Amino acid sequence: MELLLSGYMIYSLSFLLIYIALATILHLQFSITGIVNFGIVGFWGFGMYIFALLQLKLGMPFVLAIVLSCIITGIVSLILGSIILNLDDQAVLVGTLAFATIIEYLTTTEKWATNGVMGLGTIKMPFDFGPVTDLVFFLFILVCLVLLILYTAKLKTSSYGRLLLSIKDNEVLSRSLGKPTFRHKIIFFTFTCMLIGFFGALSAPLYNYIFPRMIGPGITFTIWIALMLGGRTRLLGGMVGVVATVGLFDYFIETVVPIPTEYAEMVPNFKFALYGLMLILILMFRPLGILGDRKREVKR
Amino acid sequence: MREKALHLKNLVKRFGGRTVVDIKDITLGTHGIEGLIGPNGAGKTTLISLITHKVSMDQGQILYYKDRKEIDISKKSLDEISRLGLVRTNQIIQDFESLTIRDSLLLSLATSKQEKFYNIFNEKELRKSTEKEIEKYLDYFHFENPDGHALSAGEKKLLDIIRCMLLKPKFLLMDEPTAGLPQNQTEKVIELMREKTNEEGMSILIVEHDLDLIWKVTENVHFMSEGQILIQGTPDEIRNNKTVITKYMGGCDA
Repeated sequence: MELLLSGYMIYSLSFLLIYIALATILHLQFSITGIVNFGIVGFWGFGMYIFALLQLKLGMPFVLAIVLSCIITGIVSLILGSIILNLDDQAVLVGTLAFATIIEYLTTTEKWATNGVMGLGTIKMPFDFGPVTDLVFFLFILVCLVLLILYTAKLKTSSYGRLLLSIKDNEVLSRSLGKPTFRHKIIFFTFTCMLIGFFGALSAPLYNYIFPRMIGPGITFTIWIALMLGGRTRLLGGMVGVVATVGLFDYFIETVVPIPTEYAEMVPNFKFALYGLMLILILMFRPLGILGDRKREVKR
Repeated sequence: MREKALHLKNLVKRFGGRTVVDIKDITLGTHGIEGLIGPNGAGKTTLISLITHKVSMDQGQILYYKDRKEIDISKKSLDEISRLGLVRTNQIIQDFESLTIRDSLLLSLATSKQEKFYNIFNEKELRKSTEKEIEKYLDYFHFENPDGHALSAGEKKLLDIIRCMLLKPKFLLMDEPTAGLPQNQTEKVIELMREKTNEEGMSILIVEHDLDLIWKVTENVHFMSEGQILIQGTPDEIRNNKTVITKYMGGCDA
């Protein structure tokens, strides 16, 4: 129990929630709309850095900084989306990946704003409740995540959800039914990227101190692997996948399993290799992930 | 005779060096149901794709007439054209894999107002307001399981037609609508086409290789060959036309 409520555990669990949120948003973008976003970390890091800059350089209060960083992330993704979203999947993949790389480089090179590799800090928590501050923040993230999952569940059975699925399945057919698919893709991409930016902004106070190496492509790959592993067609696929990858390796093994210190530093290096191995095994034996796909029920 | 729905002027489409469609001056939609026939590779499907802008033309102009207004649709996009009431069904089966039959029809009926990312609580209302219309079609064609996915080619083909009918187009282009359908369903589709043209003022252009159907259903037929519309006339005129017989119906057996 003590271990559960200790600072490190809360901190770890908060990040688990952030990852689950990102995987759920990827489910919205990729599994429902068919947008191959390979730059999740870009939008996440962008939101995080903008939030940090607004708070540290301009001294903005928490809520205002969060709202503004969402809006700025939205504007950037709107511009990016209008350029790439009418291209094919491969181009979208490369475009978003390039965006994330650009963001990573900009945070390194633009030292006047970001301090370069030295990093930015210290980012303050929005409130101070003494020893339970971290716990309250964790609960706040939890509420946001639950809202996101409820939204996703509801969306899937709404007319907008059907429209998005139709775009993923057969965009030309959807257009021939009079649906302005390009516009909808841009709007939804912008909206979901704003959500990524929002969770990025929430991560900043968690980290306290942020630097460019944190927003490397590893996070994008982890989220993709998690979603594939959990089940890309399922609402909770992202959650299951994140728990099975990040949860298992970063937290369970690192905090609970007693690993001799001389091997401890091998864990992070082994992690990606094991993610890859798990992905290969899952794709071979359960192509639609751990949760799999709901069977197409044929009631007779 | 009705007022024309479409006027094609100097429409040209080339694929590589080959001219697939080359139409000088043609009006379409002056009758309830018109037919478009011609040998394979004549450019019939390409013509339909050009009209709905699924494929873009190399040169020419397409004018569309709606409520006595003339609209130049040469530059408009596929979805804009569809919203103007000019809709096509597909020759090659097109379907949404993730949507059940009922979902697919709901998609067709949902208005752009109902399709907003923040508007996710309107499902009940939408289902209620569209139930009658959807049930009518589902009963008419006897879908076995409307809440499952369309499985057979025939079901998918019917679904494609119903989706288009639900849009209540003014001018419907049907590319081989009955290919792959069993006889009783074909009859039902024909019946539906007649009903729509007579009662709701829809105009239909069908591309078909089933000539019996063409002679039986259409009021006017366009004969297309090598990218050009060579002859237009009533089914009887076309049927007895020498060019049509030699180019399409196989020599002198008619």
